Amino acid sequence: MSFFAKVMPFAAVIFVLFPVPVQAAGIGRDTARARAIMTRVDDLWRAESSHGVMVMRVVTAHYQRNLKLEEWSRGRDESLVRILYPPRENGTATLKSGNTVYTWLPRTDRVIRLTSSTMMATWMGSHFTNDDLVKASRLADDYDPGIVFTGVRHGIDLIEIALRPRPDAAVVWDRILVEVDRSRTLPLVCRYYDEDGQLVRSLFFSGVKMMDNRLLPTVMRMVPADKPGEFTEIRYQSLEFGLVFADSFFSVNQLRRR
Amino acid sequence: MDNIFLLKTGWRSIWRNRRRTLITLSSVAFGLLVSVTFTGSADYAYTNMIDTSATMGFGHVTVAAAGYNRAPSPSLVLSGCDLVLAAAVKSGVRAARLRIVAQAMLAAGGRSSGGEVMGIDPAVETGGFNVFLRDIVRGRMFTPAETRGALVGEVMARRLKLVPGRRLVYTTTDRHGEMVSGVARISGIFRTGVSGVDNGVVVLPLARLRQVLGYGRDEASFAALFLADQRQSRIVRNSLARHFTGIGREILTWRETQADLAGLIAMDRAGNYLMQFLIWLLVAAGIFNTMQMSVMERRRQFGIMQAVGMAPRWIFFLVMAEALWLGVCGLAVGVVVTLPCYLYLRHVGLNLETLIGNDYSAAGVLVDPVLRLRLFPETGLVIVGFLFFIVLAAGVYPGLVAARTRPIAAMRQR
Repeated sequence: MSFFAKVMPFAAVIFVLFPVPVQAAGIGRDTARARAIMTRVDDLWRAESSHGVMVMRVVTAHYQRNLKLEEWSRGRDESLVRILYPPRENGTATLKSGNTVYTWLPRTDRVIRLTSSTMMATWMGSHFTNDDLVKASRLADDYDPGIVFTGVRHGIDLIEIALRPRPDAAVVWDRILVEVDRSRTLPLVCRYYDEDGQLVRSLFFSGVKMMDNRLLPTVMRMVPADKPGEFTEIRYQSLEFGLVFADSFFSVNQLRRR
Repeated sequence: MDNIFLLKTGWRSIWRNRRRTLITLSSVAFGLLVSVTFTGSADYAYTNMIDTSATMGFGHVTVAAAGYNRAPSPSLVLSGCDLVLAAAVKSGVRAARLRIVAQAMLAAGGRSSGGEVMGIDPAVETGGFNVFLRDIVRGRMFTPAETRGALVGEVMARRLKLVPGRRLVYTTTDRHGEMVSGVARISGIFRTGVSGVDNGVVVLPLARLRQVLGYGRDEASFAALFLADQRQSRIVRNSLARHFTGIGREILTWRETQADLAGLIAMDRAGNYLMQFLIWLLVAAGIFNTMQMSVMERRRQFGIMQAVGMAPRWIFFLVMAEALWLGVCGLAVGVVVTLPCYLYLRHVGLNLETLIGNDYSAAGVLVDPVLRLRLFPETGLVIVGFLFFIVLAAGVYPGLVAARTRPIAAMRQR
């Protein structure tokens, strides 16, 4: 699993789904070091495939929502997420295959292919968007990292890395600041800024646990800056790596199976 | 009985009651003034709206892949664009421009909005044929060297907090239906006054959009052709259709590509004609009334004329000669009264901004708040001809009444 991928919110939702190879360094020494840190983080989560169960809690000003999800992934571009709970949404599934995303609604037995017009719509009512899902695996190509702080902050020895979009990268953020626990090389928080320098949203990592012999943050909370009190929290209950899936597993036919 | 005699007698007769004749002439002149104002303002407004609509994308005539107008999609690609442009130039169009249009999701810094991206060639586009270039209110048009420039509408710029220099990400589907994204830097902000357009259109370099959507160098969504006179659109369409029949292209006039506007104009024109018809009816009733009065007052005269040997049909022609003079003189007075008004309203206009504002739009096209007139010569001839016909028609019944006068009964009248 790529660290780059994790700094994107949807990757945080199902953060084992999108392993991204970090680009070879070759710019400045600072950039090379930042890339090296991310490579280590990336290696920490890197897996050819994964399967896990997680709980997602969405709190907004208008409603609260709890979902239990099961996910499968292979490589960077294939993933499947299915709702297990609540019962009325049981079976609803999202399939990502390359740049294409499908949603299956069991109540109407319809497979919907997401179009550009629905890209900024929320994913399953959370604070993540479909666009986060599609672009999660392209961050390594889109951003250049650089270390902006090293030292103790809030009592934690950390390294802060700034991700700046490349000139031709189709990304909306002007800057992403990532704080990494220096001793364990684990992400602590990602902050997303627009071109006014305004913080738009933050993704907090916590609940570090061993899962399938890997030390990982198992809780991620996305907090929009302009909506006080709102958040989406993902909590992993189980996670395993290195599974073998049939080629047909990540297909539209599989999407329709409960 | 010769015609000169009839005309001379008719001329003398209409001036027997000078006041009545002057009232009749003013009715005809008023009819002409109202008709010219109604028709001229409508023709100006329609032409203005059609031309503005053309500069918003599709032109007066559009050449696209077959089926594009019914269901626009990036997968419907117009190929052989150079050939299309060459044929268009041969057909006598004023300008021909290639465009790529696609529905897109536009995002900047966590904010997003649905809209449309339009690819244009900055090397050839000018404000004359592109409303977005004409209405730039901040920044400037991107140059051919700026491959990632963009123009964005004022409303969208406000919603997405965009200013020149800011980054805008667009996500759309390419020609194969795959989702693709591109990034642009805002060069300028336009304000057309149509909120739907100012909130929904982003103008990008054609070459860049070709690259993002997977189009070839000779491909586009459509070619927009601009004419000096929008009324020639059907002729140009038919001329081009001969070149491209049966090779997967459709050639459309603005009536097909801007069906809402065409419907609105057709409806408005029908209402306009109805209103004019009612006014003409009133004018005709006025003329008929005065002529009938004139005939009734001169029954003794008609009786004597018949008694001395004038045939009833010549009496009818005499009344018609009076109607003819009333028509000719009325129209002459009408021209004298109407011409200065027409010239003023054509060149200066009447500013109605305080009444309708400066952002009033219809069918997605901005309406000019200045009332101006533009009368096509053939329309002017139709109005004059029709008014003349009405005056003559108003004289038929009084003429028949005069012709049927019984000499003895008429001569008994005092």
